[in-house]
Formats: sequence, structure tokens, C-alpha cells
Amino acid sequence: MSGADPQAIRLHVEGLAKAYGATVALRQVTLDLRQGEVHALLGENGAGKSTLVKILSGIVTPDQGNLLLDGGAYRPGSLMEARRAGISTAFQELSLLPNLTVATNLLLPTLIKGAGGLAATRRNQERAAEILAEFDAADISPRTLVSDLSLAQKQRLEIVRALSHRPRVLILDEPTAALAEPEWLFRLIARITAAGDVSILYISHRLAEVRRLCQRGTVLRNGESIGTVSLAGTLDADIFRMMVGTSPEGHQPGQTAGTQSDAAPAIAVRGLTGRTITDVGFTLRQGEILGVAALEGQGQRELLRILAGAVAPLSGTIEIEGHALRAATPAAALSAGIGFVPEERKTEGIFLTLGTAANISFPILNRLRRFGLINRSRERTAVQGEAARVELAPRYLDMRIGALSGGNQQKALIARVLLSGARNLVLFDPTRGVDVGTKQVIYGVIRDFVAAGGSVLIYSTELAELVQLVHRCLVLYQGRVMGELSGAAMTEERLVSLATGHGEQERAAA
Amino acid sequence: MSATGTLPVARRPGGASTRRLLANGTFNVFVVYVLLFVILMIKQPDTLSAFGVTDLFNNALPLALAAAGGGLVVLTRGFDLSVAGVIALTNVLIATALPDGPWGAVLAVAIAGGAGLVVGAVNGYLVAYVRLQSIASTLATMIVCSGVALLVLDAPGGQVPDAVVYGFSGVLPGNVPVSAVVALVVVLLWLALRRTDWGVAIYAIGADETAAALAGIPVRRAKFFTYCLAGILYGFAGLMLSAVTATGNPNGGTTYLLLMFAAIAIGGTAFSGGRGGVIGSMIGAATLTLLQKVLFSAGVSSFYTGIFQGLVMILAVVIGAITARLAEGRAR
Repeated sequence: MSGADPQAIRLHVEGLAKAYGATVALRQVTLDLRQGEVHALLGENGAGKSTLVKILSGIVTPDQGNLLLDGGAYRPGSLMEARRAGISTAFQELSLLPNLTVATNLLLPTLIKGAGGLAATRRNQERAAEILAEFDAADISPRTLVSDLSLAQKQRLEIVRALSHRPRVLILDEPTAALAEPEWLFRLIARITAAGDVSILYISHRLAEVRRLCQRGTVLRNGESIGTVSLAGTLDADIFRMMVGTSPEGHQPGQTAGTQSDAAPAIAVRGLTGRTITDVGFTLRQGEILGVAALEGQGQRELLRILAGAVAPLSGTIEIEGHALRAATPAAALSAGIGFVPEERKTEGIFLTLGTAANISFPILNRLRRFGLINRSRERTAVQGEAARVELAPRYLDMRIGALSGGNQQKALIARVLLSGARNLVLFDPTRGVDVGTKQVIYGVIRDFVAAGGSVLIYSTELAELVQLVHRCLVLYQGRVMGELSGAAMTEERLVSLATGHGEQERAAA
Repeated sequence: MSATGTLPVARRPGGASTRRLLANGTFNVFVVYVLLFVILMIKQPDTLSAFGVTDLFNNALPLALAAAGGGLVVLTRGFDLSVAGVIALTNVLIATALPDGPWGAVLAVAIAGGAGLVVGAVNGYLVAYVRLQSIASTLATMIVCSGVALLVLDAPGGQVPDAVVYGFSGVLPGNVPVSAVVALVVVLLWLALRRTDWGVAIYAIGADETAAALAGIPVRRAKFFTYCLAGILYGFAGLMLSAVTATGNPNGGTTYLLLMFAAIAIGGTAFSGGRGGVIGSMIGAATLTLLQKVLFSAGVSSFYTGIFQGLVMILAVVIGAITARLAEGRAR
């Protein structure tokens, strides 16, 4: 196995498909991982990377497709089977147990046993210390509880644990997301691939790092493998184009009407700093749609939740229509005029077991009262008006909202926010998982809303949507505003480039 | 953090040992127990006599065994209500179906362990493999077992064989209470279990089931066997109750249900899973029964017992929450 035949195929993936109910996660994925190569897996959020990782790690069983590991059929039924076959994974969401020590975490699920078949604490710690030293992580003590480690140390431990199983194929899913010193990982990768035997599937949003480590890369888009390219011979721009797909129309200013730059500020944010964001500032004017673009986990979630009053910032000010927002509660944000559509529709948005009408009328119940009780006919009138605005068919109003499709649930949620009388909307990925028709309805509602003088801040994982919809777009990277694009300069390629931390090059090129 | 001392391979480094000790639920409840014990000794100097000690162990053991089983399930972030049903069922079976003589005692052990195992296996199957909510499935098995207990014996009565009564609530040569030996065996078994892969899996599952699965732990199997073991412990709780009361009562398990959860909480095991330990739960149970005795010896009417038990539980949970928060603050 130590022979370094650079062309030998270590892992062959062909026609892989996986659907969860009606949601297709992978349509058609084909790639070859060569022996001894570091192979990048590239793609936007939701392109199917994590599903592919789960299938290769034995956690998810594919619906269709073939996997060959060193020429033999590979069909792992569990994580342990995958590990025995020689594939181990450092997961993005970290699979460490906080209430156990570093040593126990490293040796799970089978500890070293001493006399009487019981775990030998000392020997486990010694073995863990050997592993940590071998992979250049001797600063982490085997006796420490994982909950006492820093995030960067946890990430390194996750990687060391995957390496300690001596895999033939190592899968690294966003391994540098929390690493302050990625050089540590780069040295390790150079060392373990030096013999030319271990193959690595490397998933990262950071293209600079991918170029440094990987020879080839496969691009996924919408659950399909678009192609495998030699990274040395491919421009960043071409990779971005493969990731986002060809978008011949580009920015269409005609679709969203222009805005007046002298309109009064609706939301003014200065120096906002939280746990994942640093010094974020912007002004959103009345009649304007401001987009937020970012790859996963760049602080957008906290930014929008701060604006909605769901979490308190560490420092910074928020002014809504000239008045400072003081209390960090959703009720205070609502009364200041901010309507929030949250990320997790099912858990943060709707009341699954209640009727659709009741879900919509929720924020204005106090206005629907007569003699202290809710007046159902007034509720009906108010709800019907908003339902018509979001094109939600009246027959849905009496149904339990849990029985509605995701798109209709989202319409109801937007109707609720509109009904609350908010003048400023904060929307977290409002079109996630909804069908094309509903998307157009939502775009229409947003445009009408700003045309009537309202303002909208929208985060979306779909860059094409932002380009089409917003007047200006902020790009967040590692919790900071990396740049702001508007007008003709706002293209998907430029957004991706900023979102992957290529701000300086972009500016230099411009 | 707060349960460091009860984790399999955690060692206390010298510096933070005081804080860690304070954050250790088992240690806290042990201090409370010793305080109550001292009060009782002042009120009743004969507490330390052979009879007094045997009495203490006999009173505490049924609840302590139940709390040991329930504590295991709580460590995996589950709730097991079937304890009330299993105790009632084993109690009425032992009070009605056994012959006299030594064979009666052997059969009693088999019935207690067997009935507990069967109920625990049903619980474990429903929770681990069918993936039902533990509180719902164990509530169902509790109701079924209570119903069966009423079929076996429809009113308090029956006769527990003398061999069971004397064999399990009596003393061994040297005045060692049998119940103390049983308690010691359970503690030793737990100390061993903690150092097996299964024991580590129990903590891992309680902390984060997804991460445990990603770390390669056979989550379903470990959960299934945990409910089985818990069931066996409930069965032995029913056996000890039979030995101590010498009679059968189809409704005898009900009082144990809520007291068991109180004992687990007092013993420093978090209902959110992954923190605590079985020894704490057992001492928590002993504390609750000792409290009854102290109040009785102080001449407080037994109507007040519930109030005091509740207050102790609130105190324990508050201390647990504060120490957990302190520990978290340090980790950040």
C-alpha cells in the first residue's frame, strides 16, 4: 500500500444520490479521490457537501450510486464500519463530548482495559498523551475536560482523533473554521501525505487555503458534481462561476425600483460587537432593501438576532428611526418597529399545533379584544387582509399550520410580521426551502413593502436572490463587514469572492 | 463540570480541588446526610446501636435502589416512571406467590430481577429502538404494571415468606445488616460500570446523543441496556420493600415515584443528563429517609414531612444550579 502511484484511485464515487423525503440533498455526485492526494470539495451552502461527508462516513445510506474503496465495494452501514474500512472524519459540528476528558474522547468508543476488564485510567491517559504528542498537540492535557478547552483546541482535538485512527481516507470538514493557527494543520497534512498513501478530502470555504493544500477540486452545486478541476490551472473567477452557476442576467436593476439616497435612516447601526461579530456598522434607509451575504457561520445569525432583540450585543448602538433601541428583548424591538422572520421556521417562528389564522393574528391579539376576549370576526377580517397580500389562499386559514407546506408556512409568517405593523423587516433567509412560485410572491411583498416606505434587511444563502432583490449588499466575513456592493458591481462572483475573504484582491483589481 | 469527581477518568488537579469538591453533588449531599445524622444521634443516642443502624439501612434501601436505577436513566437524559409499577408488581408477587423456606428467598430474587428485567427491556426497546419519548413509554409500562399488580392482589395483604423477611432485612453474623451489604454491592458494581465502555457511553449519551453517535458509541444498544439495568434495580427495590414491610400492597410503589426523582436531584444528578452519578442518587435517597426519621424524633408531626423534603430538594437543586453556573463561568 505504500507504493505511491499518483494515478491510482483510492475512492471512487459514482452517481451518488440521496433525498430526505421531498428534499433532494444529492442528485448526482461523481468524483475520484486519488491515492495520496489532497482533494478539495467546493460548493455553496446547501450544495450537498455535508450530505456527501455523511454518506462517506457511514452515517447516512445513499439512495443510489456506487462507492469503490481501493477497487472494492464500499457500503458502510455505520460510522464504525467506515472507520474499520479506513475512512475517518473530522466533523464540522465537532463530535466531542464536553463532560468527558480529552483522553476518553480520543479513545472512544473503546477504552484501554486493565485488570478485570475495567478501563485503566492511567494507561488511557498515557496513550492519549502519545497520540497528542504524535500529532503535535502536546499542549492539550489528556486529563482536561473537553468543556474546559478553547474552541480552537476542540477543533484540533477533533482532527487529532480522526488522524489517530490512521485512515486511508481522511475527511476534513471545515477544519480551519475555528483554528487561530491553521499552520498547525497544514504541517500535519504535509506530513501524513508525504508517504503518498493517505488521501484527504478537504472541505473549506477559504479558497486561498484550498489552493495551498489541494491539487484538484470538485465543485458541487445543487447536489450535483459540476466537475473536477486542476486547481493550479483554474482562476478563482472560474471556480466561483462553477459554484454559483452561470447567471447570464446578472443584476437586474429594473426588477427592484431604485431608492433615494437622502431618505431618512430607518435602522442605523454603529460599532456593533457581539460574540461572533466585530464592529459592524451600516445605515438602512427608508424605502431600501439591504442585503447581507455571508457563508455559513460568519456572524450573520447573531447580527440579525441582535437587531430582532433576541440577544444583547456586547457593545455598539442601534437606532431605529432615530431612537436608540435599549432593551434587548423581542418585545422592545417589535414595539420599536422591527419585524423579524427567524431562521428556524418550525422552532422559532410558527406554533405548529395552532391554526394558521391564530398564527398570523398572534402579535395583534390585544387589538382584537372586545370585553377582554378575542373577537373572532375582527381577527378574521385582519388576517384575511394580510393573507391576500402574501397570496395565501383563504382555505388555509382554518387549517393547522403544521399541515401546510413550507412555502405556505413562510407566507403565514410574513403575513404575521406585516400585520404587526412593523415598518422595518429583518428577514433571515426567508426563501429557504420554499418553491419558486412562493419565492416570487415573497419578492413581490418585499418590494411593495419598501415602495410604501418600509425598509428591509435580508440575509439569504442564495446569492442570486440577493443580486436580484436588494439595492445594496453587505458581505460579512469572520464577523466583520468585508465589503459593500451595489449597482452593477453587485455580481454573484464578486459576492462570493468577498464572502471567502478575498476583499483585498478584489479592491486591488478594481 | 459540576460532577467531575464522578466521571470515569477525570482527576482533580490540586489547585482547583476545593471548588471542584463544592461543585460535586455527591459531596454536597454527603455533607447534608452527615449533618442530619449528627442531629439524630443527639436526639436518639441509640442510633448507632446494631438495631439502629440496621433500621437506617432497611428504611433507606428500597428508595436508594430505585434512585440508583432512575439515576442511571436520568444520566442518559431520560426519565423512567416505570419504577412505581415495578415495585408494586414485585411486591405483590413476592407476597402471594412464594413458598416458605429458603427456596422462597431464592425465588424472590429471581422474581424481582426477572420482572424488573422484562419491564426494563420493554422500556429500553421502546425508547432506544422505537425512539419514543422515555417519559411517555415508561408512564405506559408503569400503568400496565400497576394494573397487573392489582390483578395479583386487589387489596393490601398477602404474606411475605419469613425467609425473605429475615434474609433481606436481618443481620449477618457480626451484626452486619444485609441491606448494607446489598447497598455496598450496588455501589461497587456502579464503580466498576463507570469504568466500562458502557458506563462512559451513559455519560456521553446524556451530554450529546448526536456527538456520541459520531464518536462511534453504539447509542441505541447502550440506552437499551441502561433501561434493563434500571428495571432490575427497581425489582430489587420491590424485594427490599417486601422484606421490610413483610406484606404486599398493590399501591405501595406510588410513593416511590416522586421521591425517587427528588433523591436523584438531591444527589446532584442533572435532569439534563450527563452530569452526576449513582452514588449521589443513593445518598440522596438515604437523606430523604433520614430526614423523616429526624423529624419524627424531633416530635414534628408526620404531616410536615413532605414540606421539609420539598424544601431540601429545592435547596439541593439551587446549590446544584449555582455550582454548575460557577463551573461554566470558569470554562468560558
